Amino acid sequence: MKKLMWLILCFVALPAAAAIDGTQILQKVDRNLEPESYEMYRKLIDIQPDGSKKEYVLYTMKKGRDKIVALFLSPPSDKGRVTLRLGDNMWLYIRDVGRPIRITSLQSVTGSIFNNADILRVDYSAEYNVETAEEQKGALILSLKAKTGEVAYDRLKMWVDKQLLLPVTIEAYAASGLLIKTLHFKDNKDFGGGIKRPAILETDSPLHKGYKSVMLFSAIKKRDFPDEIFTLNYLPRIEELRK
Amino acid sequence: MNVLRGLRRFWPLVLLFAIASVKAAEEYSFDASAFEKKPFELGGYVELKQEDFALNRAGAFYKLNNFGQPQRDDLGRTTGTLQLAGKLRYGIGTFDFRTNSGLQRDQLAHDHDNTIFEAAYSIRPSPGLTMEAGKRALKWGKGYAWNPMGFVERPKDPNDPQLAREGIWMANSDLIFNPGGNLQTIAFTPVLLPVGNDINSDFGASGHLNPAAKLYLLYRDIDIDFAWQGKGSRPARFGMDFSTNLMSNFEIHGEWARIQQFTRPVTDSTGRVTSEVGNATSYLLGLRYLTAGDTTYIVEYYRNATGYSDQEAGQFYQLVNNAFATGSGALLQKALSLSRSSYGRPNSGKDYLYFRAQQKDALGIVYFQPSVTAMMNWQDRSYQVTPELQYTGVKNFDLRLRLFLLQGGISTDFGEKQNSRKLEFYARYYF
Repeated sequence: MKKLMWLILCFVALPAAAAIDGTQILQKVDRNLEPESYEMYRKLIDIQPDGSKKEYVLYTMKKGRDKIVALFLSPPSDKGRVTLRLGDNMWLYIRDVGRPIRITSLQSVTGSIFNNADILRVDYSAEYNVETAEEQKGALILSLKAKTGEVAYDRLKMWVDKQLLLPVTIEAYAASGLLIKTLHFKDNKDFGGGIKRPAILETDSPLHKGYKSVMLFSAIKKRDFPDEIFTLNYLPRIEELRK
Repeated sequence: MNVLRGLRRFWPLVLLFAIASVKAAEEYSFDASAFEKKPFELGGYVELKQEDFALNRAGAFYKLNNFGQPQRDDLGRTTGTLQLAGKLRYGIGTFDFRTNSGLQRDQLAHDHDNTIFEAAYSIRPSPGLTMEAGKRALKWGKGYAWNPMGFVERPKDPNDPQLAREGIWMANSDLIFNPGGNLQTIAFTPVLLPVGNDINSDFGASGHLNPAAKLYLLYRDIDIDFAWQGKGSRPARFGMDFSTNLMSNFEIHGEWARIQQFTRPVTDSTGRVTSEVGNATSYLLGLRYLTAGDTTYIVEYYRNATGYSDQEAGQFYQLVNNAFATGSGALLQKALSLSRSSYGRPNSGKDYLYFRAQQKDALGIVYFQPSVTAMMNWQDRSYQVTPELQYTGVKNFDLRLRLFLLQGGISTDFGEKQNSRKLEFYARYYF
């Protein structure tokens, strides 16, 4: 009888043990992309259908799972702009305006296909729950659902490199099921300090046919910051934290 | 050899491929070291602006401002502006400045000015503490077009709310705390603002060191400010504001401010001026809404307790008419004096409505933003509508075209302005 019970238990437990733990994978993807607290430089390139481009350079600092600030270093017309995100709250500080205004995740401070949620991206696991995780042709596919209605995309479908546990492609969907954009992660690179991740992120959108936006990553470093800098009062002085 | 000879024939193609691959590599190259922080930075913009006014010859402010001058139906004005902003870093301190130089010419006059907008030295002994002294343009309040809580700043131009403004000489500090929990941030900003014959003389009565302070709280997802300015060069005042998102694309904000024992000069149509003294409570309520199609709507209602009701303003306009009808020099001087102070301020009425709709990337053109702004004096129903086209797609350029259309009857706010229409174009180059 005991043997029979063990056999039944094994049959019940085996599929569960073999099942993919999507939440754990998503957390690993988050940490493989960036340390929890870091600084980095990014260049955003917006490419129009006629091939003309507009470029932005941003210095970004992140702390914990949901505090992130980005300072525009270029072009001169945008230099000194700062965007801050604390959880679901986002603000834009423009030096001439002199005070921060609230902005939304779906807006784009640059005018590109990348919206504020892409530019001020916090951990995927902070915003999304894993609904399903499956393996297909050597890749892990995670279906993610936004934890709240405040998140920019209602659903994400993420293709993850099984060996590296880094995202390869992400499709972002609205609540209506409409595909808003596709993100393509490319050119895995060693940034030093144990950070190996894609150096290029490309995006295109069926809503903006012919347009393309590219994000290039550089100088990603683990760095701890005091909480005080992730506040509205600190935004005018954020540049002084650059080394 | 034959292969080499064959390759030689295709050398233009090889060269093209080589250039194409170099270009492809260039396309995605990024070296962050080019953006290292420098001890000295200088930037800014140059702007060329052309304004064409259709003058409102029946308007009270046209009559007052053009008294004794050749009468005109229109006026063209060209303005060149250079704004320089710089930063000098040394040790734990930073000196930053912003200057504004303008050259203006129209058919009646030409003028130039050089103004220091901001120049301040700041030190940060710790991330949570900043101290600074110099000329600084603090911006308090959450309103888009107006800020009744802007106690220590020059008034905002509701026609250009995002324009940089001249600051005020002061010493101020910033203390930031992060208690955690629902109260995510506390920030305290004390200010000391001296007023003398040679410093901040346009702020108010000289011989005072005016204290002011602002307390900012981020409680849950709500920005809240409390502000105070002590009695000194100006009457004491206090206020509060808030801003929060009801939905991710729907923000609401409000401001409330009370000036204690505020003196308001009020005239009747004969030029008899009485000073009304009392507490003036102003407030503002507003919202900002973003649609799925990237249209932003901004709506604000502003109750300006320091302003004039339509009856009070009507008495002033009657005074101007009487002055010109009778040719009385004394009445004219009185009307001129009142127009240069309280009655001639922008938005000197009591109740205003503001509406703005702006469309991002309109007509499928990236960086093209048309918008329309409307401002109405709610009491006399006069209004101003401003359609606008803006394009920022050319590298480092900002191009803007606006048409101001003012509409109102006799003795109304926008009906008595100096001009009835204005066409404005500017090209701004950032460097």
